[in-house]
Amino acid sequence: MAYRGGDGPGQPLSATFPRVSPGGLSTFRTRTHNICMVSDFFYPNMGGVESHIYQLSQCLIERGHKVIIITHAYGTRKGVRYLTNGLKVYYLPLKVMYNQSTATTLFHSLPLLRYIFVRERVTIIHSHSSFSAMAHDALFHAKTMGLQTVFTDHSLFGFADVSSVLTNKLLTVSLCDTNHIICVSYTSKENTVLRAALNPEIVSVIPNAVDPTDFTPDPFRRHDSVITIVVVSRLVYRKGTDLLSGIIPELCQKYPNLNFLIGGEGPKRIILEEVRERYQLHDRKIRVRLLGALEHKDVRNVLVQGHIFLNTSLTEAFCMAIVEAASCGLQVVSTKVGGIPEVLPENLIILCEPSVKSLCEGLERAIFRLKSGALPAPENIHNVVKTFYTWRNVAERTEKVYDRVSLEAVLPMEKRLDRLISHCGPITGYIFALLAVLNFLFLIFLKWMTPDSVIDVAIDGTGPRGAWTHHQYSHNKRGGDNNEISKTR
Amino acid sequence: MCAQPVTNTQEAKWQKVLYERQPFPDNYVDRRFLEELRKNIYARKYQYWAVVFESSVVIQQLCSVCVFVVIWWYMDEGLLAPHWLLGTGLASSLIGYVLFDLIDGGEGRKKSGRTRWADLKSALVFITFTYGFSPVLKTLTESVSTDTIYAMSVFMLLGHLIFFDYGANAAIVSSTLSLNMAIFASVCLASRLPRSLHAFIMVTFAIQIFALWPMLQKKLKACTPRSYVGVTLLFAFSALGGLLSISFVGATLFALLLISISCLCPFYLIRLQLFKENIHGPWDEAEIKEDLSRFLS
Repeated sequence: MAYRGGDGPGQPLSATFPRVSPGGLSTFRTRTHNICMVSDFFYPNMGGVESHIYQLSQCLIERGHKVIIITHAYGTRKGVRYLTNGLKVYYLPLKVMYNQSTATTLFHSLPLLRYIFVRERVTIIHSHSSFSAMAHDALFHAKTMGLQTVFTDHSLFGFADVSSVLTNKLLTVSLCDTNHIICVSYTSKENTVLRAALNPEIVSVIPNAVDPTDFTPDPFRRHDSVITIVVVSRLVYRKGTDLLSGIIPELCQKYPNLNFLIGGEGPKRIILEEVRERYQLHDRKIRVRLLGALEHKDVRNVLVQGHIFLNTSLTEAFCMAIVEAASCGLQVVSTKVGGIPEVLPENLIILCEPSVKSLCEGLERAIFRLKSGALPAPENIHNVVKTFYTWRNVAERTEKVYDRVSLEAVLPMEKRLDRLISHCGPITGYIFALLAVLNFLFLIFLKWMTPDSVIDVAIDGTGPRGAWTHHQYSHNKRGGDNNEISKTR
Repeated sequence: MCAQPVTNTQEAKWQKVLYERQPFPDNYVDRRFLEELRKNIYARKYQYWAVVFESSVVIQQLCSVCVFVVIWWYMDEGLLAPHWLLGTGLASSLIGYVLFDLIDGGEGRKKSGRTRWADLKSALVFITFTYGFSPVLKTLTESVSTDTIYAMSVFMLLGHLIFFDYGANAAIVSSTLSLNMAIFASVCLASRLPRSLHAFIMVTFAIQIFALWPMLQKKLKACTPRSYVGVTLLFAFSALGGLLSISFVGATLFALLLISISCLCPFYLIRLQLFKENIHGPWDEAEIKEDLSRFLS
């Protein structure tokens, strides 16, 4: 769905392009940046981070910046690919360790990343997601190379268990000399500031967005003889599927004309099936329908079939799902966790405590409002919600972060070591200072092996001088299988 | 636009919402920043003597291991006749069995619905099989060197102590594994005894001290805490006495270990509580407090 873009030209053409020195580049473009988005999570993987990176990149390209994306290879999808508007994606051949995150040794990715940073003349590295090892690697290397760094945190973490203590320590190390950090909600900002012991001044809050044109209401698709509650989420513990399994029998017994429509897949699907079996909610007419995994493009078609959207998440930094549902004109009922209370105004959302009792009360309130006709029309809700979150706005605000960051100085090596030692605690600080020195020596070795001047400048897909906007390559080179240019170096 | 500070910043009040464009820069830090931060809300206040009382479970288990090893040593040296051990063991088992039902007035038995006949049957089956297989147990580890046997026993008994269910709700706890390790150690040690009768009695004794005795202790602790303290003290002193008859140094070290676990560790735990800094806030994963299994059962 996302890679609807055509196939673009690749490396061989770069020789025809005039070589631009990095210094000259920055003076030439005062307000535009060469941005490199790095994350383990990108299409064809689906999720919030993936669409965030894609949409943000598209809007930044629209604003005249050069954007490239680096991720790891997904199956046969490796090498360089071009997406819509010449957005170049590097699928690097790095080993995936767990949950689509690559293994990290802190060093092994330096040769590849440095080569890309140099040939793309990148000035700002923007890493996404604290779960992504590659994002942290890229930050580490970028600082060694003296590039500006920005990091976006998409998730919340606790402080109580051993695993979060360890990850928080790593985040402290990774972010202690990062120029700027972006969080998707105020709660997420508080969380990140505490986790990584940051100065809150260098943390900006820029929410996620949804494309309102993708999520339009369609009141004719729903049957008004019954009330349909829609749930769209992965069926996992963190999304509160256990709560859902308590809500369904409770409400289905109380309201005979109430249906549930559940989209999503996951290990907790089995308990929903058990509930359905036990309370005989599938004979005669189907009252609880489990749709299984949904593609992103199908989400809207499911949402518009319902009247009420239910979100039972136990933790959530932003929650795009409720914005998408509200954009489709549904009344939203949600647990009051994480950043959710910040996302929608009170008249569009009913917030509940994360318990079956409270959620049932919230849903009953929504049902009552629906029956009494107190709910605004879906079209009206859509018109309100569509002004809240747009990717253009996100891009504009992110651009301000880039402008600010580009004026800041990157810490020189000795100051960086000081900062690591003073900020990350005596033991971790010294270990990572040592690693930083080793990384620096490795970089010098790489520079000696292949000097920057030897590395070809890549063709500029996007940006003011972008080949894409010139149209000379994009049309005549289309088709065939030459969209995949493997890079082994 | 959001990132542009406007002159009338003082008038507009910052709100913790994302859907409104506010006249503050994106990196604005309000006074309300982190106001929902809570510290140590689930931290428990410990009472010294309560912790000491709870530590007795560890003491009991250490003493069990100690008593077991001491008895084995006596058997190995030929200072303790197997018949005598069998007699005492059976007698104390019978007393324990009666006590087990007396303490709670037979409530536990009613709940589990287990008859005395079933108990007798399991006991008989166990004794018969152990007796029948004791010659095999005796010769089972003949080809293994004695040093290996000792090392293995030490590791198994340590494992038994580590995995034992002291009442903590941790992933490492596994009473099955713990019991199995103890029985394995007893089989190892029993195979080094002079005759197969010795081996049989040793394994029976191991079952009594590692499987049955903790069950009785648990019940004692729940129903009559006072007598439990008495029993623990008595048990600890007898274990110490037994060890003293073998080695003075060992007994001293063991006494120090017991004292440090029952007196110093609780003190240290309470001191360390002062340094506890557990952070909570709206970002914490919500806990499902209700019992949701009622919907499925």
